[in-house]
Amino acid sequence: MGMIEFKNIAHSYGTKPVLHDLTLDFKANQLTCLLGGSGCGKTTILRLIAGLEIPQTGHVIIEDKIVTKNKQILIPPNLRNIGFIFQDLALWPHFTVYKNIAFGLTERKLANQKDKEINIKDTVFKMLDFFDLREYADRYPHQLSGGQKQLAAISRSLVLKPKILLMDEPLANLDVKLKRKILEHIKNLKHNFDLTIIYVTHDHKEAFAIADEIVVLNDGKIEETGSVEQIKKSENTFVKYFLEY
Amino acid sequence: MDRKLIKHPFYSIIYLSFVFFIIIPVIYTLGSAIFIDSSLLDNLQLFNYETFILLAKSCFIAFTIALLSTLFGSTLGFLIYKTNIIFRVFFKVSLLIPLLISPYILAVAWKDFFYLFFDNTSFISSTIGVILVLTTIFTPLSMLIIGSALSNIDSQLEESGFVITNFRSVILKIMLPLIKPALISSFVLVFIFSISEFSVPAFFGVKVFTTEIFTQFSAFYNHSLAILQSAMLIFICIFLLLSEKKHIANAPFLSVSGKGTNSRTYNLKKWNFLSKLFLFVWFFITIVFPFVILFIQSFKNGTTKFIQAFELLLPTFNNSIGLAFLGALIIVIVGFTAAYHSARQTHNKKIKSFDWFLLIVFAIPSTIFGISLIKFYNQPALDFIYSSYSILIIGYVGKFTFISAKLIENAIKQIPNSLDEAAQIQGIPFFTRQIKILIPLIMPTLFVAFIISFIFSLGELGTTIMLYPPGTEIMPIKVFTIMANAPQSLTSSMTLIVFLITLLLITSLYFLVKPFIKNYSNGYD
Repeated sequence: MGMIEFKNIAHSYGTKPVLHDLTLDFKANQLTCLLGGSGCGKTTILRLIAGLEIPQTGHVIIEDKIVTKNKQILIPPNLRNIGFIFQDLALWPHFTVYKNIAFGLTERKLANQKDKEINIKDTVFKMLDFFDLREYADRYPHQLSGGQKQLAAISRSLVLKPKILLMDEPLANLDVKLKRKILEHIKNLKHNFDLTIIYVTHDHKEAFAIADEIVVLNDGKIEETGSVEQIKKSENTFVKYFLEY
Repeated sequence: MDRKLIKHPFYSIIYLSFVFFIIIPVIYTLGSAIFIDSSLLDNLQLFNYETFILLAKSCFIAFTIALLSTLFGSTLGFLIYKTNIIFRVFFKVSLLIPLLISPYILAVAWKDFFYLFFDNTSFISSTIGVILVLTTIFTPLSMLIIGSALSNIDSQLEESGFVITNFRSVILKIMLPLIKPALISSFVLVFIFSISEFSVPAFFGVKVFTTEIFTQFSAFYNHSLAILQSAMLIFICIFLLLSEKKHIANAPFLSVSGKGTNSRTYNLKKWNFLSKLFLFVWFFITIVFPFVILFIQSFKNGTTKFIQAFELLLPTFNNSIGLAFLGALIIVIVGFTAAYHSARQTHNKKIKSFDWFLLIVFAIPSTIFGISLIKFYNQPALDFIYSSYSILIIGYVGKFTFISAKLIENAIKQIPNSLDEAAQIQGIPFFTRQIKILIPLIMPTLFVAFIISFIFSLGELGTTIMLYPPGTEIMPIKVFTIMANAPQSLTSSMTLIVFLITLLLITSLYFLVKPFIKNYSNGYD
């Protein structure tokens, strides 16, 4: 059994179907890339895992618990132990880097206020140090470079110690050099933070660089699943066509 | 997420309160006139030739004002939003002043002008006078709507036109079709506002449908006929709204600082002098001139009348400012609630209905809305509302929440939903997310919505004149009641004081808001 399981999931936006009877497993402690073109349902899969969307049919299981079933959310997003890096990063523009990372910790109810303060500060600075962001702690998002924003968003997600990290095309707006640097970071996250990562991209080079497993999607259906080597050698017409570009 | 949000108790409380306090009275009043009142058939017989002539006259006045405002508004909108003309930022803000002050202030100023220079006010106290004064008041609205549409045209669309044709063709065949919805919205909205306007025709003594309704209600106590006449006017307004529902319901022009697209501005070259002249003349006629005239008229015989006017108005300041403040606060809360749900859940029927309620009440002429509230609340069980200031607050909330909601909605739409979702995933509760994430990001818009609601509530006459509890001292009512019998110089002095207070409040609130807008300029608002 996988860390995350999709059982016969169908989903649509209004009248437009996005996912058709999708059954899919994501293995624990692996970095799985969802690869496909625009509108194939990659982001929808992430949003369904996070609980930001409710599927029309089927159910979603996380760590053996049914989290969404029969159009009902059984476990809300905040109790699923996940981190989410949005495509636009969604850094709160009116908070400093420190506050962006600390906000989730601050708002979570802890018994002792004093311990809470110390723990939060300590935890946030450890995270900032890990990503070399300490000197930017007092800056606002608009004062950071693209790469620093990326790392700040990752730090914010990891500070709550999630077991699953969902990444929605996080490198879409970066140049090649920066992409390589951040990809190295992402590769190491899995081991350093004991994470299951699901990474959405339309760029097969990105997927080949970091994935343990790749799921190729087309029009809401799975075309192919396998390791990097298996995908490279796939005889599937769509996969071959997609990898040509 | 749709169902979860719609069930939020705070939203339901606000929604149900709006329906109970504002929508039910309107439905009750119209329904009782049509289905319950025994005198309905008698009153229907009173709908004679003269009634329809009066309605036709009102429609003609509103049509002319809408046409002229759209025409002048397009020109001003183009000059200010699409050219590099001098002082464009100054004009962009200052030309909106007539829209923010009570219409009767300008009416008094123009009457003063004819009184002062021609010793005869018959020209201005006529249908033409109503058209001219209301055109100067509503042209800024057209300018705002059309200017926003012009500035939202992507420069690439114009540039791709310039590659194949000349300037004239680009204007006529590319830009005009693109701003057609704005032109129609401008026309329809100005028409509705003009046909609903009460204070200017009443002050000039020009009989139109709204003044006739007021007379039937207040002088002849023929409530059924007044309500039936109101129903006709409401029917016209709603019919026009429905014809343009998409563009007006979305009201994209009600935006504080829309990012817009990459807009192109033009160099006026040989038209520069004429354009500048037009802008300055317009500014002078609609803003400087009325103020100067009121000033001259107020002080031509010394300061006695001005002091007397100030003493008369002094007891009204606390009430008026307090009521407007409270009204604006509630308007922003209701507006924010409606706007948040409208911006985030566009397909929900309950939310659509809230949007429509706001729009329809906004379109109902003020006097008629006032009558609806009186008819509903004037009964023993609801007397605690009818005989208190609450009824005025209800009136302000009904009339002005639409503007506030649309301003806020357009600001919320600029904030990516992912900012909220990122906090939701981290376990931040709904209210904390609103207070610590969304509200700080749209704070400048909330301030602007508050200021506009405050200024509108402060100057509102049509609803207030119907609703004010006996013995209450309210600024516009005091001016309006004294106007009828007092010497012209006293009226002018009172109007000048109201004008100065309004300008002072706009200016001070603007400077209060300015730092907030600057502080958050790196956000999304």
